[in-house]
Amino acid sequence: MGDGWPLSGASSSRLSLGGIVSRRPTTTSPPRSRRLGVIVVDPLPVVRAGLTMLIEDRPDMDVIAETGTADDGLEIVSRVRRSRVVILVGLGLTGEHDAFWLIRTLRERFPTHAILGCGANADATTVSRALFMGADGFVDKNIDPVEFLQSLRRAADREMVLAGPQSGAVGQIAEGLERRRDLDVRLTPRERQVLTVAAEGLTAREIGARLGVRERTVTTHLARIYGKLGVGSRLAAIRLAARAGLVTVGAPE
Amino acid sequence: MDAQPVSVVIAAGHGVVGEVVRRACEAEPGVVVLAEVRDGIALIESCRTLRPDVIVLDEGLDGGGQELRALRSLREEGVAVAAVVLTDRSDGASVLHALRLGARGYVRKAAGLAAVGSAVRTVADGGRAIEPESEQAAVLALGRFAQQAREGSEVEASLTAREHEILMLVSQGLTMQQAARRLGISPRTVETHVAKLYRKLGVRTRVQAVARAVQLGLIEP
Repeated sequence: MGDGWPLSGASSSRLSLGGIVSRRPTTTSPPRSRRLGVIVVDPLPVVRAGLTMLIEDRPDMDVIAETGTADDGLEIVSRVRRSRVVILVGLGLTGEHDAFWLIRTLRERFPTHAILGCGANADATTVSRALFMGADGFVDKNIDPVEFLQSLRRAADREMVLAGPQSGAVGQIAEGLERRRDLDVRLTPRERQVLTVAAEGLTAREIGARLGVRERTVTTHLARIYGKLGVGSRLAAIRLAARAGLVTVGAPE
Repeated sequence: MDAQPVSVVIAAGHGVVGEVVRRACEAEPGVVVLAEVRDGIALIESCRTLRPDVIVLDEGLDGGGQELRALRSLREEGVAVAAVVLTDRSDGASVLHALRLGARGYVRKAAGLAAVGSAVRTVADGGRAIEPESEQAAVLALGRFAQQAREGSEVEASLTAREHEILMLVSQGLTMQQAARRLGISPRTVETHVAKLYRKLGVRTRVQAVARAVQLGLIEP
């Protein structure tokens, strides 16, 4: 197999990320403008380094940039002037601007770029959430490097990609999308926001402070949410929202 | 070594199909056909009482269509059963629909019903029996499905309660005058709402509006 991870001695000099790659076989490389440009946004430096080496080894693609935060990722993408771009978003990005925020924002602002969610052992709900936000697919970090690169090429052609164990969960992912859609139909945007904040475990008073409304308003929203979802408690509502991928409870990966 | 026994219920609208499937199943070591039924109601009943490991379901059951109603009912009742769907279709939307309803096997009749036996064995062992091409088609359909779910939610969130109401009336075939009377507002106001509604849906005619709304899941087809 000629397409392995280039981790051994000869190519170790290319660990300097973002630098100029010298060993590229220039005779077979298409001009830079026609190559597939990849932007890697992942919280784990080792993942970024590995993906960069893997991609830089191919003549038809290169890594435009790599970063560990969603905000930097967005900033980088807004400066890119290439036509064939794939943005790899590690679903492990957390915080207020997490992976799903990034995917949604990128999809709104850059409709022609391909966006691929990337993770390890993500469940069907997580994948369906990424798709709902606007990802063109999901690639598991555990797959074979050749298949990984092929997924990038297919994504660049704006083909839906599902690579890894999740390719067997198409039905469950679609179900997750349906649940999310169903929840969105039933709840107003404001109610979804209240529920999302409630899932962080805040009290009504704290939710109110966060959203800039009175505690009383929050309890009214919550009561209406319970009614619409047909549940009797906050916990049950949050569980339903988690199953629909509206909120993340626990680790995202 | 003997294969683990697998019990099967076959549901096919046509006796001929049922018979061919039965033979294919019985040719597989360890597979026992518990019953062969002709419609969805009988299928559900036999699943409740016989508790088969696997059902083989002809898509043409109950007049066909894409609905696979029996499978949906079983799912809603919480009857856990591995399903192999027999089909004439290989388009992504149909495959995705079957997978959404929990089908684990998807056998095209054109591929020959002999494959049913091994499909039953595979799903009974917890695997999936679906051709790679069909699965790939389902993945592509999933992409469209995700896009529609997202866009549908966005449009839904952008519609006012009144616009939503008017969309319902328009989709039922009411004229502007009729919609105005129904809502107790002037036809002129309805026109304004309709114009805004069309803009949000990105359409220019009533027919387009209804088609788009169905596509986005805003209204039932």
